[in-house]
Amino acid sequence: MISEEIKKKIRGIVGAENALDSDLDRFGYSYDASFVPLLPAKKPDLVVRPATTEEVSKVMAVAYEHAIPVTPRGAATGRTGGSIPLQGGISLSLERMMKIVELDVNNMMVWAEAGVRTIDLYNACAAKGLFYPPDPASWKFSTIGGNVAENAGGMRAVKYGVTSNYVMGLEVVLSDGTVLQTGGKAIKNVTGYNLTSLFTGSEGTLGIVTKVLLRVIPMPKKRGTLQLMFRTLDDGCTAVHRMLQSGLVPAAAEVMDRFCLEAVAKHRKTQHDPAIGACIVIEIDGEDDEALALQTKRMEAVAKECGVYEFRVAQSQQESDELWAIRRGISSAIASILPNRLGEDISVPRDAFPEVVRRIATIAEKHKLTIAVYGHAGDGNIHPSILCDLSKPGEEERVHRAVEDLFDVTLSVGGTLSGEHGIGITKRPYIAKALGESGVKTLGAVKQALDPKGILNPGKIW
Amino acid sequence: MSNHSNDKLLLEAKKIVSQCDRCGTCLPVCPLFEAKNVEASSARGKNVIARALTEGGLEPTPEMLAKVNFCLLCRACVDTCPSKIATDEAMINIRQYLVNKTGAANTKYKAMGGILKSRGMVKLTAKTLALLRKLGLGSVFPHGMVPEEYTRAHFLAAFSGPAALGQKAPPSDVAVTASTRVAYFDGCGMRMMFPEAAAETLKLLKAGTQPMVKDNVCCGLPHLAHGLRDEFLELARKNISIYEDADVVVCDCASCGGTLKHIASYFANDPHWKDRAAAFSRKVMDLTEYLAKVGYTPRQKVDAIFTYHDPCHLGRGQGIKKQPRDLLRAAGKFVEMKEADVCCGGAGSFHMDYPDIASTILDKKRANIEKTGAAIVVTGCPGCLIQLAKAAKASGGKFKAMHISQVI
Repeated sequence: MISEEIKKKIRGIVGAENALDSDLDRFGYSYDASFVPLLPAKKPDLVVRPATTEEVSKVMAVAYEHAIPVTPRGAATGRTGGSIPLQGGISLSLERMMKIVELDVNNMMVWAEAGVRTIDLYNACAAKGLFYPPDPASWKFSTIGGNVAENAGGMRAVKYGVTSNYVMGLEVVLSDGTVLQTGGKAIKNVTGYNLTSLFTGSEGTLGIVTKVLLRVIPMPKKRGTLQLMFRTLDDGCTAVHRMLQSGLVPAAAEVMDRFCLEAVAKHRKTQHDPAIGACIVIEIDGEDDEALALQTKRMEAVAKECGVYEFRVAQSQQESDELWAIRRGISSAIASILPNRLGEDISVPRDAFPEVVRRIATIAEKHKLTIAVYGHAGDGNIHPSILCDLSKPGEEERVHRAVEDLFDVTLSVGGTLSGEHGIGITKRPYIAKALGESGVKTLGAVKQALDPKGILNPGKIW
Repeated sequence: MSNHSNDKLLLEAKKIVSQCDRCGTCLPVCPLFEAKNVEASSARGKNVIARALTEGGLEPTPEMLAKVNFCLLCRACVDTCPSKIATDEAMINIRQYLVNKTGAANTKYKAMGGILKSRGMVKLTAKTLALLRKLGLGSVFPHGMVPEEYTRAHFLAAFSGPAALGQKAPPSDVAVTASTRVAYFDGCGMRMMFPEAAAETLKLLKAGTQPMVKDNVCCGLPHLAHGLRDEFLELARKNISIYEDADVVVCDCASCGGTLKHIASYFANDPHWKDRAAAFSRKVMDLTEYLAKVGYTPRQKVDAIFTYHDPCHLGRGQGIKKQPRDLLRAAGKFVEMKEADVCCGGAGSFHMDYPDIASTILDKKRANIEKTGAAIVVTGCPGCLIQLAKAAKASGGKFKAMHISQVI
């Protein structure tokens, strides 16, 4: 509980209308887009919505003095519970910090406040012919601060990398309210530890990211979409590997297994051709139509070598949008099959993709569960979705065991628990298995140094 | 767990909101979340509150009723949702449940609902408002409740020159067969606020048929939306009976039309009314839908630039977007505005309950209208027209707001 006196202090900093403590307002900040159960609600004691770094700093100083837990929050679109205030205290919502502070065209860099929506940042850059590539599935509604805190990925990672590949510097408020600036516009920078990288993906456990400095690149002039159907997932993955090895880098290469395709067909009331075992949707980009045509021709040749069943080039923007709508609609299409869906986010060395998918099928059979598989074939990030009905007796336990098996398989091929969603609450029990004792100890030492009172997003990661 | 979780309304709402996986896709499209970006204002926020209520995690309170009342029922979220969660239906169910549970909380809606329920009161109110307009006293009412009307006569005088005045309406290209019995649905909003536009609707109908004018009652949406479901059902049964002898029921109000088309679903489990309700809903048509069907050609083509605002209950509610635009293209020059289908903030009585938020939303709409350079913004809903008339006034005469029946 936060005393009235402390609340008064905080209201003095952010204004009364930005420190909410009514029951339903607090409830609104108790969840995110993860499958962490909604109830019992993990309500914060106070929702604080600062508008400036200075306000964040002052609020943190108060929280530090009174050892109040603080959970930073962007748009609460995370998938692992990162912004859920597990231990109450303050939900520090950065949704009012939504200014693009500077768009430096010469250096091709942009300073933005944490609460800027990713799509708004993308559009602001695009208006100047610049391109911010990371596109997590939630990019139209997530915030850039959340993307940085979770080191979000997206479909374009295969060619362009993930959020951390673009973060050049950060403004961070530390647990005691100190404002720290890391990195900067200098492209080469080896002065001291790379704190920018340390805070990127730290899930709000080390500091509050208030501003981000991102590098951007020139916008590709043309984009195209290809749809490749294969008899087996192995064939499809092999085709993507061979493309990459021969220097043909798709801007995105998304794979869907047979189950997903059947679900999509059912959702869209179309027929699935049973000969098709996997579909890969590829985005290509380049300087002009000729460049796209050449890439398409070479990709088709590779696909044919790998026994492609059907190779389709989207002929219009509308066709291309339709193909991507199918990909984006997968999670809903499969979610509509059973009451509960637990989406995982494992990431494995690219060449282990087909092997892991085969082993997922074995796990599903062993635990009598349905597991749909889709993901980023180009970068080895797989999203197995366990479809279940948690109200059935024994089902939750089976799901739990299946997830354990899934992580075992992932780690055994040299993979990791999370590619782009973070650890948060949902993958916390497995972190020691993934990092080992020394790994967890080292994380603990960093945490102790930066957050000695343990007030920043407690209960997350480990 | 509370013992209320088996309530039928809650079960209906639960079926809807339990499908929400809280992804957040709806956040940027909710006009209320844009105006007041606190989670509980968003569609996701309200759906999750509803879900927690249905699962026994939150108790029914007046605060909750206030939260679920803060919804335009505009369906922008439904449109964008990957799982098509019907937030509006869930909110209507939850409002009803909370009104039943918390008693007198919605007294002001009861008072308003009482007026609309009685046709006599609607007529009386219409007369009073007309008088106020005539006396130029409309502005004494807060929040533009009595909009200044810009009539068809004004419009023609401004854009067609005197030659067009008094010109006879040419007959419609496609004759409606003599056996088609077309009836008009005289909505409360049109009757009370825009009688001149309602008269134009009747003239349009008369160009091709002999419309039956009935002494219908309110469509019941204000009652349904604010926890007065029994009144809604009573009104619905009356209207079903009143229009039993008509083949087509034409509405010039998007909200009435949308509601009447959905009446069938509220009687699906009522053996006595099920078939009659279904038959009734099937014959309801929006004015533009009807005119497109009979191949109507506008009475004149003027040298005016139109833009069009999609009423939520027509665009998303009935899927009617093309017909009004086609008619406007035939009646003058048409320019599409940005975000034409975003709610204007009117939303029934929302603009009276939350005038500040409604006017924030309307300011954006006004800017989008002004950017088109249009002289007239046209719509097909009296609720929207009240808002747009306010916007027209705020624009300082840059544009006028009119009902579609007045310009085609």
